[in-house]
Amino acid sequence: MLPDVIRLKECDPSFVREVMEAGGQGVSACFACGTCVAGCPTVEAMDHPPRRLMRMINLGMREEVLASDTVWLCASCNTCNTRCPRGVEIPNVMAAVKSIAIREGVQPDERVAPVFYQEMVDSMVRYGRLFEPRMMLMVSLRSGQGVEGLMKNAPLGLELFKKGKLPLRPHRIKGTKQLKTILENIRTMEGGK
Amino acid sequence: MRFAYYPGCSLEASGREYDMSTRAVFEALGVELEEIDDWNCCGATAAYSISDTLAVALPARNLALAEEKGLDVLAPCSECYHRMRKAEYAVRNKPGMKERLEKAFEGTGLKFTGRITTRHPLDVIVNDVGIDAVKARITKDLNGLKVAPYYGCVIAKPPEVVGFESVENPTSMDVLIEAAGARALPMSGFKTRCCGGPVLITREELALGLTSGILKEAMEEGADCIVTPCPLCGVMLDAKQKAAGVEAEIPVLYFTQLLGLAMGIKPKRLGLDKNFVPTDRVLEVVSG
Repeated sequence: MLPDVIRLKECDPSFVREVMEAGGQGVSACFACGTCVAGCPTVEAMDHPPRRLMRMINLGMREEVLASDTVWLCASCNTCNTRCPRGVEIPNVMAAVKSIAIREGVQPDERVAPVFYQEMVDSMVRYGRLFEPRMMLMVSLRSGQGVEGLMKNAPLGLELFKKGKLPLRPHRIKGTKQLKTILENIRTMEGGK
Repeated sequence: MRFAYYPGCSLEASGREYDMSTRAVFEALGVELEEIDDWNCCGATAAYSISDTLAVALPARNLALAEEKGLDVLAPCSECYHRMRKAEYAVRNKPGMKERLEKAFEGTGLKFTGRITTRHPLDVIVNDVGIDAVKARITKDLNGLKVAPYYGCVIAKPPEVVGFESVENPTSMDVLIEAAGARALPMSGFKTRCCGGPVLITREELALGLTSGILKEAMEEGADCIVTPCPLCGVMLDAKQKAAGVEAEIPVLYFTQLLGLAMGIKPKRLGLDKNFVPTDRVLEVVSG
């Protein structure tokens, strides 16, 4: 939630730079017109609309931004950045905040999405390609959804299986070693992400 | 004409019929597809939520493999297409990204200089093969079948990254639908509206509400079927109709399946038995 009064002394003026370095270049150009909000398909579920979140980032409200569920509900549809008169790549800004939150182990109210992204990347590097059965199992276990989560996704899995569209074994590419090297190189470069 | 073919993860699983029909249609159009050997996942929406360099490096490995062959990439999945183009754009335009990619590739022997690019099948068919050449291959009359063209979000957005299509009113599928003897419906206001797929796991109700809006618009316009170029949209619109609260079923096809039918390719080769909602209604009009 937003405090009634924003105390600039309690804000972190270096946060906007941190977001920009994590891939959110251009966020400081936002002049809060709200065009992003008008076109956002998931805004009704966000605690802070994109315009406000951009403002919060620029003000350095680090804690509130990292705890917000807004970034986890971004559908990456690219409507906002396409229409932004200031050229802010809002989905990139959202992703930069997500990467900082994941790196710092922040636990937002939104439990599923952070685990989902991590498990997707795990699958990408482990096998080289997505292997959904393992991914969904791990997401259910790690996000605290447990059996309930599995049951929710089971019907679609079964339908896909019946149509011969759900591989039960992962396809491991030959280049997984390359992918591991790439990930390690990036971790070194970005300081232990 | 020859391309390095990048099916992507979805086309090996939930979107298998999109893979089958793309290969069949391109063969019939005389365009050669050589699958990228040992390709990896494009990173989708996850990689950039972990690291912006990883989001460039994952697609760039595939681009590097294609560049070795000197071929442009053909990527049918909208998300893969968008991620590959975004990686190319970042390498070419984002300060410092070229150097970061080189560092990420250290010790792998991989190299991507930006000599090649990624194309979407819609772009290639409409702009390279050309509508006249497509028309010359149409052997079956689609008898005025009413088709709702649904493009999805990222095939045209943002324009400086992808950019073969109009952002708010794309028309490449409309043109193909009409060329195939069917009727393209307007899908007013819904052509590029989000299907909800990316938030299905986190907010099911929100996602299904978005899916439902698209389905209802297609039905209100009197569509016999919906066509799409995106495998995530395909699953949402096809497999989630009941969950989205839509009573009557409407077939959802990949645009390559519809085009393939009009070109006289056998339904089985186009994977028309793999769509969730039975496609009989479409087949009846075509054969009737």
